[in-house]
Amino acid sequence: MNEIIGVILASIISWLNFVIIDTYFGLPEAPGVKGADIVGRSIKKRGGDLSGGFFQGNILCSPDASAGTLLASVAVMVLGVQGGLMAALIVFIGNRLCADPGYAGTIGALSMTIIVFICSLLGFSPLMFVVGTVIAITTIQGLDHRSSSILLGIIAKKLNRKTKLE
Amino acid sequence: MVISESHILLNYLIAIILSIVVAVVLKLPLVPEKPIRFSWTKSALFPTPIITIGILGFVYSLGFFWIYDGIILAVIICIISGLFVKYLFDYLFPKPLMWSDE
Repeated sequence: MNEIIGVILASIISWLNFVIIDTYFGLPEAPGVKGADIVGRSIKKRGGDLSGGFFQGNILCSPDASAGTLLASVAVMVLGVQGGLMAALIVFIGNRLCADPGYAGTIGALSMTIIVFICSLLGFSPLMFVVGTVIAITTIQGLDHRSSSILLGIIAKKLNRKTKLE
Repeated sequence: MVISESHILLNYLIAIILSIVVAVVLKLPLVPEKPIRFSWTKSALFPTPIITIGILGFVYSLGFFWIYDGIILAVIICIISGLFVKYLFDYLFPKPLMWSDE
């Protein structure tokens, strides 16, 4: 497969993987730690969405599905599918050290392992997913917090995970 | 020693099922209480199989399969993981004091 097309498709798949899993596991609903609360409220003050802000704060403060997605891609690239299973354990330990129950990160790492394995049969290489995940995380955390938080807020509302906090 | 991929997959499936059984036998709840996404309860479905397959993946990646194509190793790691989650987990990964509870 053409590398550029592969990376673009991998970015889209990675983005959907971690955003859907993180939202489903309640990242936009409440900040897990004080830092996530501060990030969320700061983004809201700049015209963003509070749910999206909590999402961004949570993935900043602990390794959730975004980190799981990236680490699983790297681990599958280095060690194959077994590496992905190890990545899930490492992400889980990281979660627990960061005051997070660990569901989103662990499930995200496992789902990404399965996705990378299936896509490798279709001609994708794990390296495309490593690059794709970095691009996907950059679109959430690195470009424009205001607009990305609004988009995350819309997704949270669709999945019934909008925060009830003010 | 070369082990076929189907054997390794079978070992992982056995490990996942057996680790859940071991955790249930050790009287851990099967699933955390609802809402699961905010629950800190350790259970048979989470995180026992995650710990089992993570450690098993680590050992297999080192090329160590021991006897019977790695299946005995899978069983031993299941038992160790179950015991770890039941007795040592809270000591190593205690539930943090929630800042909202302060």
